[in-house]
Amino acid sequence: MDKRQVRNNIRKLRFHHNEMTQEQLAEKVGVTRQTIIAMEQEKYSPSLELAFRIAIVFGVPLEEVFSYDAEAKKTN
Amino acid sequence: MSFQQKNITVSLVNFTLILGFFLFRVIQMTQSDSFTSANIFRLWGIIIGLAIVVTIIGTILTHIVSAIIEAIRTGKEDPKIEDFEDERDQLIDLRGTRVTYTVSSIGVFLSMLAFVLDQPPLVLFTLLIFFGLVAQIVGDISRLVLYRRGF
Repeated sequence: MDKRQVRNNIRKLRFHHNEMTQEQLAEKVGVTRQTIIAMEQEKYSPSLELAFRIAIVFGVPLEEVFSYDAEAKKTN
Repeated sequence: MSFQQKNITVSLVNFTLILGFFLFRVIQMTQSDSFTSANIFRLWGIIIGLAIVVTIIGTILTHIVSAIIEAIRTGKEDPKIEDFEDERDQLIDLRGTRVTYTVSSIGVFLSMLAFVLDQPPLVLFTLLIFFGLVAQIVGDISRLVLYRRGF
């Protein structure tokens, strides 16, 4: 099974930011809601630029939103 | 389903119908002994014209139907449709295009084989447009699969 290496806390961060909706976040970072859904489900790893835009919206450093799991692919 | 997915689905249906029409006409021609260069090139023209017109009309209709559905869903008079392409849409489109080109290239190679097998040039031209349509359909299917999988 394909295990994604890039993990994220977008769902948790949205919840802590006045329960921001996926649509609101999508509008703020300039992508479609489908892309936010795919990222939350860890089916899609965003570009570095989009990752920074998301971190800026939440006002946190990049590593608080995204983390890299180097072991994920080795376990396959 | 996003606007892009709807658009690809419409394109898939359109090209499947066009392929069906093409095969129907080719079978008709072979059965009635009218498989001539004039008829085949006329069919080429019809297929290319149909593909362009149907794609344009399909995109416009998808826009209108999406706006109507969104207006009913949200109750707003001027609903917002997410019809722009973000980075994920562009990546999926690129991958789909790669699949289309791959199938198309294999198709051209297979069409060339018609010459090797001593077939008339008409067979080559018929196979070329057949594989062109198949490549578009396979590309659309791969795009839809990528949207379903997330990426």
